[in-house]
Amino acid sequence: MNDAELVEQIIAGNNNAFRYLVAKYQRLVAHVVGRIVGRKDEVEDICQEVFIKVFRKAKRFRGESRLSTWIATIAYNTAISHVRKKVRRGEQSYDDNPLLIGKETDGGATHKVIEKEEAKKFLLAAIEELPVNYRAVLTLFHLEEFSYKEIEEITGMPEGTVKSYLSRARKLLKAKLEKVVKSEKTNIFVDYA
Amino acid sequence: MRKEENFNDVEKLVDEALIAEPGFLLSDSFADLVAQKVSRKFAWQQYLHEFLIYLGVFVGAGVVWAAMSFIFFGADWHVWLDFAVSNAAIILGINIIVVFVLFADRVLLRYFLFRAETGNGLSKY
Repeated sequence: MNDAELVEQIIAGNNNAFRYLVAKYQRLVAHVVGRIVGRKDEVEDICQEVFIKVFRKAKRFRGESRLSTWIATIAYNTAISHVRKKVRRGEQSYDDNPLLIGKETDGGATHKVIEKEEAKKFLLAAIEELPVNYRAVLTLFHLEEFSYKEIEEITGMPEGTVKSYLSRARKLLKAKLEKVVKSEKTNIFVDYA
Repeated sequence: MRKEENFNDVEKLVDEALIAEPGFLLSDSFADLVAQKVSRKFAWQQYLHEFLIYLGVFVGAGVVWAAMSFIFFGADWHVWLDFAVSNAAIILGINIIVVFVLFADRVLLRYFLFRAETGNGLSKY
């Protein structure tokens, strides 16, 4: 069953088709929402909201893009508006989402890196500390393997901005890792193959 | 040489971290729960849509009947207006009851039966 047929079935009220869609795309939605919202306890509720929106807007899907791109767009917008609402209500500070005020943090320097696995954990934690738009484009590009064009469609950022965010995010991560490696005064890469 | 190796290792580690599972996991029954919730929403919309169609048919039939009365049977609209004004409360009451019964029969009853059939697995939400 291709994307268009799947959406047709959902519009016709086929519950199994919708269940199939949720099962197929829940990982993508959880990644996008999780990386933007950054709070595990809120991810499931927001993901649920995303899929309800997918159901409600199914008639508007024209098949011009891949279904995954369309769903990721809804997930991205829902997560971003959730973060903005929380900031407006004062439940989340701007420091939690540095890009909202155009500031980058370097909160990972205190982490201790001893082994490769810990280095990876450190990097994962460092990703969570990046500005929200960096996290979003990193997730969409590396984890979900969307093209620049698709990321532009999902986030509404120009392709150049997407490329720039990817490059800067990567540089930030490398810098953070190198900083910790230097501060440890050990070479964690000796046995790294 | 050593510096270059370290650089490549950092690159490799960053690459691995970027494609690593971030750990935002949804519950095993997430798809079922969402599908169930959506099926209820769909049922509600469907029943409400049907109710509006019924209502439209009844109102349309009333309008056609009134139009025929005026056009073909020469009904006097003053008499109708006087009757409507003097019995406004009763007419309004009957209409509200009819609409409510229709709504209860076509929407509420069917929706609650549907909910009962599909269980209460979404109480969390």
